[in-house]
Amino acid sequence: MTKFGIEFVPREPYWKIIYYAIQAEGGGFSNLWVTDHFNNRNVYVTLTTAAIYTNKITFGPGVTNPYMVNPVFTAQAIATLNELTPGRVVLGMGAGDKTTLEGVGVEVEKPLAAVQEAVDIFRKIVSGESVAYKGEVFKVASAKFLFKPKGRIPVYVGAQGPKMLELAGRIGDGVLINACHPKDVEYAVNSVREGIRQGGKKPEDVDVAAYTSFSVHEDLKKATKAAVPVVSFIVAGSPSLLLERHGIDLKKAEEIREALKANDWGRAFGGVTPEMIEAFSVCGTPEMCTERIALLLKSGISQFVVGSPIGSNVREAINLISQKIIPHFQTQS
Amino acid sequence: MDYRKLLEIIPTGKWEIVSGKLIDFILTSKNDDKMPGHLANVILYQWQNGTLKNETGITALLRAAVLLEPEKTITMFNELQMANVAEQIKETLGS
Repeated sequence: MTKFGIEFVPREPYWKIIYYAIQAEGGGFSNLWVTDHFNNRNVYVTLTTAAIYTNKITFGPGVTNPYMVNPVFTAQAIATLNELTPGRVVLGMGAGDKTTLEGVGVEVEKPLAAVQEAVDIFRKIVSGESVAYKGEVFKVASAKFLFKPKGRIPVYVGAQGPKMLELAGRIGDGVLINACHPKDVEYAVNSVREGIRQGGKKPEDVDVAAYTSFSVHEDLKKATKAAVPVVSFIVAGSPSLLLERHGIDLKKAEEIREALKANDWGRAFGGVTPEMIEAFSVCGTPEMCTERIALLLKSGISQFVVGSPIGSNVREAINLISQKIIPHFQTQS
Repeated sequence: MDYRKLLEIIPTGKWEIVSGKLIDFILTSKNDDKMPGHLANVILYQWQNGTLKNETGITALLRAAVLLEPEKTITMFNELQMANVAEQIKETLGS
């Protein structure tokens, strides 16, 4: 069955995010993801509040990283959350955002090893084991919880490049990929499936979730207007290879990058073309979004994650998704 | 302001529409810092329990909307032909 997830950035105050989380749960979403960056509000405080005010939605950090937060602490936080709401917690782990981490003096080295080791340490310690670990990046002399963690907690690995995607398929219970276009999803899923094969698993053993920049409104113009700022940042941060895959003029992308650096929002947002919107967002009327989601599902994802901006009015957008989009896929499955 | 008394002069038939509009003002407000934590928790509790359209729920929403978006709240009551409610809010804010 197709799963729908929703992602929030705790730059917003907790009460707005939790309001939307309650609404999303009632509207048929199965997963709640909260991002983890030091410059926003704390992910675990936000998730704990979500746990208290919701009843069934699965939730977790989407994603945390092993550089800023030691995997032993992550395991402690996730295991405690899983006591509060048994069976509803997942861990999302990725290499983190290099620029943000370097801003606080954290060096991102050996990301593949760091993620793999962090997942190893996490799994061992939440299973109640005493952990002694000597990896390339992490060393744990001796660590064991003084409480008994409950149950098995699924791990989703956030991945972008082919090697990380492969690793994610090999070690993850799920994979989180940033992709809005079927071309990018197909590209990512091929690498994930290779990892799944290496791990001796079946494709259905791994939940492949696409994190999307999403914007829905009954009025296409309003949906597009809300998507433009987010798309401009995605274009500015995308490698040339990805831009070329979508036939995007590198010069135009560079102009957006320069405008954003100069805080010239008008020029940056004005430079976003329909091709960029098409490549880097799922945007439009409910019918248009439904059509795109169907294509992404055909490309191999099993969870569709609605991410920023969601819509020009988030509350109305969640209602539209719940009433006009999710039911379409429930009747399909 | 006694918000329960204020609610008494809002016709019950209008509670649902008032509740929806107040929620939008609060969620789209840029004045997040004016929301007291205890009031936010009351609103979330009422929302979780599906009671934002009843007396306790709307009272909490009114309190929050007047704190975060007083002008919009007054305009809304005028537009909904409830000038008496708008006037009471205006008087309290002015005093």
